[in-house]
Amino acid sequence: MMIDSMRPMAALAIPMAAALLILLFGNKIKPNLREAITMAAAILMAATVFSMAQEVTSGKELIGVLLPIADGIDLKLKVDSAGMIFASIASGLWILTSVYSIGYMRGHEEKNQTGYFAAFAMCLASAAGIAFAANLLTFFIFYEMLTIATYPLVVHHRDEKAKKAGRKYLAYTLISGQLFFAAIVFVYVKYGVCEFVAGGFMMPEAMEKPVMCLLFLLMILGGAVKAGVMPLHGWLPSAMVAPTPVSALLHAVAVVKAGVFCVFRVVCYVFGPESAAWCGGAGILSWFAAITIVLSSLIALQQDNLKARLAYSTVGQLSYIVLGISLLSAYSITGALFHMVAHAFLKITLFMCAGAIFVRLHLSEISTMGGLARRMPVTAGCFAVASLGLAGLPLMSGFVSKANLLAGAAAMGKPFFIVVLLGAALLALSYLMPVSAIFFGKQISHRAEPMDGASTMVIPLTLTVTVGILLGIWPNLGLHLYDLAIQAAAAIMEGGAGLG
Amino acid sequence: MSWFGFLEAHAPLLVILFPLCGGLLCPFLSKIHGTWGKRVVMVCLFLSVVLSIWQLVLVHEQGVLHYWLGNWRPPYGIELAIDGVNGLVVALVSVISWLTALYSSPFEVVSKGSKGWVRTAGYYSILAFLSVGLLGMASAGDAFNLYVFMEITALSGYGLIAIGEEKGPIAAFRYLLTGTIGASMYLLGVGFLYAATGTLNMTDLSIRLETLGDSPLVILAAACLVVGFGIKMALFPLHGWQPAAHSYAHPAADPMIAGIMIKVPAYGMLRFFFYIFYENSPVMELFFQAIGIMGALGILFGSLKALRYSAYNKILAYSSIGQVGYIAMGFAIGNIYGLMGAVLHILSHAFMKTGLFYTSGALKYKYGIHEITSFGQIYKDMPTTATAMVVCALSMVGLPPFAGFFSKWYLAMGAIENGQYLYVAILILSSLLSAIYFFRIFEELFMGKRIEERKKDGPLPWQMLLPLGAVAAAVIGLGLGNSSLVSELLKPTLLEVFLV
Repeated sequence: MMIDSMRPMAALAIPMAAALLILLFGNKIKPNLREAITMAAAILMAATVFSMAQEVTSGKELIGVLLPIADGIDLKLKVDSAGMIFASIASGLWILTSVYSIGYMRGHEEKNQTGYFAAFAMCLASAAGIAFAANLLTFFIFYEMLTIATYPLVVHHRDEKAKKAGRKYLAYTLISGQLFFAAIVFVYVKYGVCEFVAGGFMMPEAMEKPVMCLLFLLMILGGAVKAGVMPLHGWLPSAMVAPTPVSALLHAVAVVKAGVFCVFRVVCYVFGPESAAWCGGAGILSWFAAITIVLSSLIALQQDNLKARLAYSTVGQLSYIVLGISLLSAYSITGALFHMVAHAFLKITLFMCAGAIFVRLHLSEISTMGGLARRMPVTAGCFAVASLGLAGLPLMSGFVSKANLLAGAAAMGKPFFIVVLLGAALLALSYLMPVSAIFFGKQISHRAEPMDGASTMVIPLTLTVTVGILLGIWPNLGLHLYDLAIQAAAAIMEGGAGLG
Repeated sequence: MSWFGFLEAHAPLLVILFPLCGGLLCPFLSKIHGTWGKRVVMVCLFLSVVLSIWQLVLVHEQGVLHYWLGNWRPPYGIELAIDGVNGLVVALVSVISWLTALYSSPFEVVSKGSKGWVRTAGYYSILAFLSVGLLGMASAGDAFNLYVFMEITALSGYGLIAIGEEKGPIAAFRYLLTGTIGASMYLLGVGFLYAATGTLNMTDLSIRLETLGDSPLVILAAACLVVGFGIKMALFPLHGWQPAAHSYAHPAADPMIAGIMIKVPAYGMLRFFFYIFYENSPVMELFFQAIGIMGALGILFGSLKALRYSAYNKILAYSSIGQVGYIAMGFAIGNIYGLMGAVLHILSHAFMKTGLFYTSGALKYKYGIHEITSFGQIYKDMPTTATAMVVCALSMVGLPPFAGFFSKWYLAMGAIENGQYLYVAILILSSLLSAIYFFRIFEELFMGKRIEERKKDGPLPWQMLLPLGAVAAAVIGLGLGNSSLVSELLKPTLLEVFLV
């Protein structure tokens, strides 16, 4: 059932309005008032998104048509179960990240905070647009908006290093974006529609196999770059020059998840499982994802810089999701969607810990952090718990998603991928646990009082890790995100191919 | 007849007549009082804006407007014919002329001293005449009047380029030489057509040419017209005059010269090749291929050349060569989407290039700078200018939701429908190249080394801020609202081309 609603638009308009307000008045008002705008927008946006959860869980879809955007296509928003998952984590975590941002940016005395908070709000608006886009053109518009809105955050420090990272980021995202654009136009010209349909609107054998495979890969490319699938991951570690809250929310939640979500929409709502399997594209994608999982873990093992290690861990974890999508079974898709949630909460915790350590002790290299647990007990504790969760320890949210992924691989009869998933869990343990071991190990030099840093930083990271654990015990806690994932996967498996 | 009815009945003529009167009155009034001359020009141009928009509404309601001068029937009398396409071009020209006249007033065209009024009067008269020429070219219903207005345009153009910077006179002389060749080629082509058909009225021509087929005379005429319009619209490789003319013209008039002086000939090419010639003949196919190749090479050439310069105006001028290539490519694609894309790009590029030249003029006006290396963080001193620059530049790159994206969308649709994938590849490549040169500017604008001794003397005068804001708003509005424009006006009008 579909209902017209203004709420999807409101979810976009709120952060956009906030961005505009901050940009216009940010330098003229007091920082506290400026941050109040961010906080108010974050809370309002989350409330708007959460208010739709009830309806979406009960199988309804909310539709909002904004305006006709091109000849024959509307700028249209539709809230379905999958979009709901992405929007909830992005908007929910925005509140916590905002609190953390304020602590971090002030603690670190960053410059140009007005532009920072404005761009941040714009990123969230784009993320909501990506989550709710009802057709390919709408999706692409918000996807490119996200690309541009993230750029100022990547180059925030405005030095040579930041500029280089910015260029690299743009090169990766704009090139893939343009190829994605060409593929979208191709689909629209050939099919006359570009509306997302659960289960896809492309029939197998609608065009020649190699052509369809090429089209599949071109479209996936758009998402795979942001999702950091190797060999397209290069921008992600270098974008870590950005301030830590950016790394936390954008490079663990909004931007990279937008990439994953793009892969998800393309595979499940444009091609559909049947066509994706028939043209061979999904197979290729799953191999790339599997290789990424293994390689990135191996690279992560060698990183001494904490943020870099986390970045490579992100690359690997995202490919779990991509692998789940490309396995094309109901279990694996459920697992993939839920891993978006699990990874969001756990990875954001890890990044926030890294940021807190950096602000408090100015340490960024793991080897210098020996005995850190004695100075920042809460931070170190949260880090350890989140690490275990990410590796997939039972009773943690990471376990729920990975169990589903394994079940998916088993259901599709792909033992190799089972081995990859299990092996990667061990690898994840081996690159994250040593960090905790160092934290709780022998102390190096500093002997001051225990002090975790500002509460604006400690509270958010405690909350995220708590949610990460709770979702492992009750996956349906709160917004019924697990049910939503199951619901989306079922719709994809049942639906499909209404058009030729 | 009421005033209202009179205005409505004579709108197509009055749109041109008002600026003409303004231009003629300007010197006399300037002699009496220093500012009266420029005021009368501004008022006349504003009346022309109102009428041109009113006329567009009439076209939308009633279809094509045929206006016979002095009620002499064509083919003996002079006809002005306004349909959905040139109605838009007329409105575009009048809007940008008025904004540019307004924008000019803070510049020191109002000189002190005994002979100061001559300069003021000269500048504003010529500006009004340039507008008359362009409006006439767009409205003319017969081929010879188009030539007359083309000469008026060119002569005023020479003047405005020559009074520009130091190298202005040389640039003007160069344009004079090539421009005259262009106009002569056009006249020659029209002469051949007259010899072949015995008429100059465009509607008449198209009827008679249908029966003539591919006679050598017609082919010769078409070749002359390609060269004639090609020179006037600076289509590669006939662009030689353009970079110097666009970079050294008077900074106040430059936005108009760069924005619309090359667009109206592009419209002329559309009028001749799709409304007058019989576009489905095999010979015409060859011509379209040639135009397409010129356009495609121009896109690559312009973008690559723009990368090499660090003078802001030079970058913009070379980028225009590329952008005109888009329009030519739309003609070469030749289906409904190609033409829609081409006309939309005439509009969108006019706004964005005018906007960019407004920013260039503003930078010159305020700080006298034109090298991008001296832009260091200038956004702090000129926020409006920087915003307008970002909006227009992102639109030039072709990023959604700005106007430039949608013309690219239609062009890509047309190219894919025809299976001309090479054109799609060039579109993409050109977007990426322009991203490089615009982000190079952004890096300086936002991240360059700040020059501290820049004096702070408040914002720009409102006469400059208003055009900047208006053009940036138009770029956004044309992007978001393109659908109504395209579906209501352009598509019905352009579909007529394919009915025959």
